[in-house]
Amino acid sequence: MRVVVAALLLSGLLVSGAAGQSTTYHPTVYAAASLTDAFPKIAPRARFSFAGSDTLAAQIRQGAPAGVFASANTRLPLGLYRDHFCSKPVVFTRNALVLIVPASNPARIHGVYDLRRSGIKLVIAAQSVPVGAYTRQVLKNLKLSGVLRNVVSQESDVREVLAKVALGQADAGFVYSTDSRTVAGKVKTIRLPARAQPNVQYGICVVSASGHKAAAHAFVKNVLGARGQRILRRYGFLPRVEPKH
Amino acid sequence: MLVGGPFFGAAAVALAFLALPVVAIFTRVPPGRLARLLSNPVVTDALVVSFKTTAIAQALILLFGTPLAYLLASRRFPGRTLLVTVVELPLVLPPAVAGLGLLAAFGRFGLLGSTDRALGIDVAFTQTAVVLAVAFVASPLYIRTAIAAFEGVDADLVAASRTLGAGSTRTFFRVVLPLARNGLAAGEALAFARGLGEFGATIMFAGSLQGVTQTLPLAIYAAFSLDFDVALAMGALLVVVSAVLLVTLRLILSWQPSRRTSRSLVAPSS
Repeated sequence: MRVVVAALLLSGLLVSGAAGQSTTYHPTVYAAASLTDAFPKIAPRARFSFAGSDTLAAQIRQGAPAGVFASANTRLPLGLYRDHFCSKPVVFTRNALVLIVPASNPARIHGVYDLRRSGIKLVIAAQSVPVGAYTRQVLKNLKLSGVLRNVVSQESDVREVLAKVALGQADAGFVYSTDSRTVAGKVKTIRLPARAQPNVQYGICVVSASGHKAAAHAFVKNVLGARGQRILRRYGFLPRVEPKH
Repeated sequence: MLVGGPFFGAAAVALAFLALPVVAIFTRVPPGRLARLLSNPVVTDALVVSFKTTAIAQALILLFGTPLAYLLASRRFPGRTLLVTVVELPLVLPPAVAGLGLLAAFGRFGLLGSTDRALGIDVAFTQTAVVLAVAFVASPLYIRTAIAAFEGVDADLVAASRTLGAGSTRTFFRVVLPLARNGLAAGEALAFARGLGEFGATIMFAGSLQGVTQTLPLAIYAAFSLDFDVALAMGALLVVVSAVLLVTLRLILSWQPSRRTSRSLVAPSS
């Protein structure tokens, strides 16, 4: 056993030697896939791991070396907080869902009700992924849960839904409005009725096991600050507090 | 003494490193709960999809791969090395690249996409797509082993069969195939194991839907973020299946009516 541990230490040494030592510490941020474009603009030197929020939460529960967890819902970070894996989450931005179709629109879908036609290849995210849960909520709000029978694939994060529609492989998919903007020209965006919109709130927290809490806290402060919020807004995210009607 | 303590130490590290992750899967899945976890519909659906698609892919690999392997083994022509490289390439290709390639070729907007549409075929997100992904990544293992097996068949026996009046088809089925049998079976076992574990190309090309395209590896990936115990149970199942395949492979190889065939298996074809 001792020799195995020694070998692990040796491989660790080799890897850290190869990576080079830096004097200032940059936070490791585990963030929802929808933040792929915006977050590096807020902190270019931070290290990011973008994936489905549910996958990231599962990795943090298994001891992943995350400093910050930014989720596309509040349920996952609240769950981590309850189990003492992270600090109390705060809402840092909001988003909205849209329906997208490939630019060539092979199935001629012009509204969400067209999804009822049989034979349509609809791609959504899995139930455990925040956007997957929101998608089911939208369909429920519109009394369209029946279109779930047209689902041909359940993806593990929102960007995989986006990729499959942008490629023309799928006829339609549900993503955040911020995602559809990243592939302008490849997809057509169809807005959803306001009454169908779920309350998409993004929660952020500092991971308890993080070795460098100061850097993690600084990142969260940046995201909540005026500059961070301005960058998020530029990428189409909504203000973190819903404006009063 | 030829080797000393450090030598054994290094060997122990290698052994422990390879064994530990596999052992760890079983220590974290309580055997009592294994049966209940494996009766979860997600698991049974994935099992059915996995075995069905892998079986169909293997049938196609045998049907189309065997003639290709035989021709590459028995003929010498300019460009043969290039062809062998093309056949073996998917073996070393990263699965994600395989997925991209399949999308670019057979996707709705791929090279053959418009031909497919004209024929009324749409493989997007169907089990056919899973079969294509599995066949693409697994067939090189079979073909490669089969080439070696065919090359190991004694040319004198083939010549004797022809001299005695058997046609080339008859010679292939009555002489070559029985002599290469072990090698072909070994290649098939390897291809089956590789096909069963296919992940990257499938998730990119076929998507993931329970009961349709969600194979065991895809179900493990999905379960990882939902229920770690279910993921572990499926992992344990795949470890057992893979081990059985490997043992079968060893048995096939140690069984030897045709000694030359099995010996030449390990060496890559020239």
